[in-house]
Amino acid sequence: LSAIFRASDTATLSFVLEFVSPLLKVDPFKVLPTELCLRVLSCVDDPKTLARAAQVSRRWAMLVSDDIIWKGLCERLNYCNQLPPAVSPQILHRRSFDAPSAAQFLPARPSSVLVASPPSAPTPLTTLPVTVTSSTLGTTEVIRDLPLMDSTYSPILARSERPQSYRAFIRQRYMIDSAWLSAGTLAARHVTTDQGVVTCLHLTDKYIAVALDNSRIHIFTADGKLLHTLTGHVMGVWAIMPWGDTLVSGGCDRDLRVWDLVTGTCKRVMRGHTSTVRCLKMSDSRTAISGSRDASLRVWDIETGECLHVLTGHQASVRCLEVHGDICVSGSYDTTAKVWSISRGALLHTLTGHFSQIYALAFDGEKIATGSLDTTVRVWSADSGQCLAVLQGHTSLVGQLQMSGNTLVTGSSDGSTRVWDLKRMVCVHRLAAHDNSVTTLQFDENRIVTGGSDGRVKIWDIKSGHHIRDLACTFEAVWRVAFEDDKVVVLASRQNRTHMEVISFAPPIQDV
Amino acid sequence: MVKLISSDGETFSVEKDVAERSILIKNMIEDVGDSSTEIPIPNVTANVLKKVLEWCEHHKSDPAPVSEDDNDSRKKSTDIDEWDQKFMQVDQEMLFEIILAANYLDIKALLEVGCKTVANMIKGKSPEEIRRQFNIQMDFTPEEEAQIRRENEWAEDR
Repeated sequence: LSAIFRASDTATLSFVLEFVSPLLKVDPFKVLPTELCLRVLSCVDDPKTLARAAQVSRRWAMLVSDDIIWKGLCERLNYCNQLPPAVSPQILHRRSFDAPSAAQFLPARPSSVLVASPPSAPTPLTTLPVTVTSSTLGTTEVIRDLPLMDSTYSPILARSERPQSYRAFIRQRYMIDSAWLSAGTLAARHVTTDQGVVTCLHLTDKYIAVALDNSRIHIFTADGKLLHTLTGHVMGVWAIMPWGDTLVSGGCDRDLRVWDLVTGTCKRVMRGHTSTVRCLKMSDSRTAISGSRDASLRVWDIETGECLHVLTGHQASVRCLEVHGDICVSGSYDTTAKVWSISRGALLHTLTGHFSQIYALAFDGEKIATGSLDTTVRVWSADSGQCLAVLQGHTSLVGQLQMSGNTLVTGSSDGSTRVWDLKRMVCVHRLAAHDNSVTTLQFDENRIVTGGSDGRVKIWDIKSGHHIRDLACTFEAVWRVAFEDDKVVVLASRQNRTHMEVISFAPPIQDV
Repeated sequence: MVKLISSDGETFSVEKDVAERSILIKNMIEDVGDSSTEIPIPNVTANVLKKVLEWCEHHKSDPAPVSEDDNDSRKKSTDIDEWDQKFMQVDQEMLFEIILAANYLDIKALLEVGCKTVANMIKGKSPEEIRRQFNIQMDFTPEEEAQIRRENEWAEDR
């Protein structure tokens, strides 16, 4: 045989090659038993390959439709922590902006390829007033009622359906992640008639709660439909805290108010502070802790309206506070932070070290991070009150902080955002985020979203520190941004009006 | 030394610890209690058995796998060590025979490497490229093909 081939010319040889090579090829899934075929497919670690494999032949399509493969892929991609109820009965946990849960910080998917792509949203995000393009869906609802000047809301764009299989789940995850990279749909927009600075934004599984310095609190459904405007406060509202169907608020008028979010009515007014209520948290369904410009903190029973404790010790305005279990940490303009027992109303530690006012803090039950006008961030042990590290790098006030596990992200008036590794106490990424102050930030295991007084909302890859995109909308100033898995809520000003926009990354519902 | 006899009657003399990479053979030796008897391997031909034993020889001193279904090794699917990669550079028929033999002989690590090798041959390829890779006839009707493409379009947009 070899003699024949040696004597053959190139044309013959290439004919032979063309003839022979298919004969050497075998469909593995015809040779191997189903069990082994599934094993092979379980080794594939990216959804794209599996989706393509499904298109090869009937046999392949049948094998790829076995959910066991997708379940394995889910595990490998670390998607399992967010498994929806159709597959696991737990309710998809959505975290509130101010209370990120430290426990669920997971490494990013190994297959994620992040390419900076030019912002291109299918729905134009810049024209006003908006006619939602998907009016064919028949669900667009326009509310024209004070104090809102212009409202659009299309619930179908904002919701993700619960997938029924691992395959559908991966598909949904994949589409949401893709949308984060380059797409997104305007699901709701509300523009107020008046100019107000947005002081707070909270997302819960049921509501979007927004507080303004013009005494109003707006309550929207989670997908952006206006439910109530809570009126009662006089002057600015500076702190709100939603808990289930209850919301506690406080502000310039020194009062705390307890609201029923189902009816939109005020259930209780709690008085005691002698100056503006600046910060507010809840430690359980009936206990609220407020911090005030009067330098004290108060612990309230919101069921009875009783003030349980007055926590005194700070020498100046209490600017920020965080709660974990029975421990409350407060940061003050007196340059110290204090650790308190809520139930006993007792001071446990005073954290001294900052040279200037404390503006922001994060607390996960063990570690405390404080951001100060002295441009540094300090990390403390809540247990001992010891300062564990001084993180330097910012050149101006550090007013934004979020901590999850060993990751701390800080935003500063110097316009930059920094990502810190708290294991090594070093800065991992420095993001040249905004021309001006970073006014708001949030991160999860995949991304950081920042907003600035330059009017931009930017999305960053938390692992690489790379800029992914700007959200297409630009404003004069961004007050607050909060996001969940499949949506971003932006509160910003444009032309002296306060805009609230919900941008959804959920795949079209009929498609899932 | 252990004597193994392939399905086509060829005899292989191998060291006991090499042969015992196969849990099947290991159990048989234990059952017989006498390692000098000949062990028939009725499902594996000589050319495949030779190849499998070559792998066992190279991996004879590998630490035993920690547990039955330890996921760790499967997490990084594309990682195959260099020697194994070279070892797996065989024609497709042989590759699949090795996988079948590893499964039959119960050699977990070899089965894993085999499956990963096939997975890597699929990875990143279009359906048409996969068909060409394995000489697969597309057996969808045009309607089915359009349908299945629509169902899987989601993965193509990035």
